[in-house]
Amino acid sequence: MFGITDPAIWVGYLLALVFTLACLVYGLLNWNNGAEEERDGS
Amino acid sequence: MAVDTGLFVGMTLVYLVLVIGLGYLGYRQTKGNDDYMVAGRKISPVVLALSYGATFISTSAIIGFGGVAAQLGMGMIWLTVLNIGLGIFIAFVVFGKRTRSIGSKLRAVTFPDLMGKCYGSPFMQYAAGLVIVIAMPLYTAAILIGGAQFITSTLQVPYTTALIGFAAVVALYVVLGGLIAVMYTDALQGGIMLVGMTILLVLTYVQLGGVIEAHTALAAMSDLVPGTLAAGGMTGWASMPAFGSSIWLTMVTTLVLGVGIGVLAQPQLVVRFMTVKDSRSLNRAVLVGGPFILMMTGVAFTVGALTNVYFYQNQGVIALAAATGGNVDTIIPNFINASMPDLFVVIFMLALLAAAMSTLSSLFHVMGTSLGFDVIRRTGSGKAAMRPIRVATVVMIVVSVVLAFILPGSIIARATAMFMGLCASAFLPAYAHAMYSSRPSLRAAKISLVAGAAAWFVWTAFVHVKESAALGLSDLLFGVPAVLSAPWQDVDPLVIALPLSTAALLVGLVLDRHAVIAEGPTGAA
Repeated sequence: MFGITDPAIWVGYLLALVFTLACLVYGLLNWNNGAEEERDGS
Repeated sequence: MAVDTGLFVGMTLVYLVLVIGLGYLGYRQTKGNDDYMVAGRKISPVVLALSYGATFISTSAIIGFGGVAAQLGMGMIWLTVLNIGLGIFIAFVVFGKRTRSIGSKLRAVTFPDLMGKCYGSPFMQYAAGLVIVIAMPLYTAAILIGGAQFITSTLQVPYTTALIGFAAVVALYVVLGGLIAVMYTDALQGGIMLVGMTILLVLTYVQLGGVIEAHTALAAMSDLVPGTLAAGGMTGWASMPAFGSSIWLTMVTTLVLGVGIGVLAQPQLVVRFMTVKDSRSLNRAVLVGGPFILMMTGVAFTVGALTNVYFYQNQGVIALAAATGGNVDTIIPNFINASMPDLFVVIFMLALLAAAMSTLSSLFHVMGTSLGFDVIRRTGSGKAAMRPIRVATVVMIVVSVVLAFILPGSIIARATAMFMGLCASAFLPAYAHAMYSSRPSLRAAKISLVAGAAAWFVWTAFVHVKESAALGLSDLLFGVPAVLSAPWQDVDPLVIALPLSTAALLVGLVLDRHAVIAEGPTGAA
């Protein structure tokens, strides 16, 4: 993949990109969740 | 690094004015303990993410670990996988939210304070504070030395002046402006690092003729691996070392697992979760943090490995042969100096200076608050209560500067992995237990903390040869650099100490349950 033949390397790159994407998606999906919840709890 | 000194000095001065300006802003906004210790719990998500990332990534992560990738290849990308998966996603979502919510409820202002209040135990606060006060100066001294060496080589100022000047500038805004100043300046520094690393990635692929062309050329160089590295298990720069070989063990246990897991229980990072007002800020910070870390370590490791292609195509040698004096830390700077336009060389130097300053400022702050608040155990709030913490911060800075002058280079090079390993071994199980148990067991936490720290120390001082040989304790007591032979002496202390401290926590929990059953309902009540 992209000139890298060892799966142990390209899987690493793929996972790094997947986790980055997961961070982006998580951030977007939860953009407005969890606002000031401590005020309700206290 | 040879560069247009006038241009670099000019840009550095502009950068320093901005840093001091942000430091002053932090000083003006700091009215009491909460502001000084946890930035008033009102930091924005973007500042949090950039500050967390810039603290996480020091100069040594870029040029030190990038140099290791130039030597050992792209397998280092697995550290980036852990950096993003554990260091950002799990850290923010699993640990960060609980830390923020519990920290806010208990009004905790430092990591040891959080541990002490969760367990209702001054011992936990004192012990965690003591581990930080004793071990963190080592790591801080390493960052100081790296920064001073870098300033000496770029600005041609004497080493002593560089070290003291570097520490003094950072000390100024940390001591006066507390965590608000630290995080504001971190955000600026993180931004500069992001610009520098993005340009580095793009220009490297342009230099080497494209993404696929660069990778294909690197994969084709496997027969150029030096004999000593091949004997250690290295198979090429675009492939993993042979499974179970000494290089594989070093790469996987020390570099990938040691640093990748170690980041989860670092006090200077944990305290940042307590600087935001709600979980929404953490959710938003994840969105910035993941891509930021990808662009830091992912780029450093990729470009590091690809320097082999550049040096081979242009100088007929591999990167290791192009390193000054065989020092892998010089590979990335040498590559940039040889291949990049002058303006970018200056931008990248600023990025490295920013990386060093952002990590250093956070360490100064955590050491100061640990000594001044957790170990000396001051109470109260307001400006008067900040005075002893500021004095303690100055004391810890002076200790770190003195250590930077006297410590041998051999142990300094390993300080990052050592500090992360110790933090994870001593704190991680007890920290996780405190965050996810409604009634955390103090007995289990104490056993885990002591067992983790002790196991880490024994393995570091007597088995893991890279540290035990440098420390000299094993040689002094047993006449050998390490008491166990290969492969054990290549296994990182964290890989042994963390499972042991986790097991110790579980044993403590079982003992506690037995004690409750033995005491019966009256005793339990």
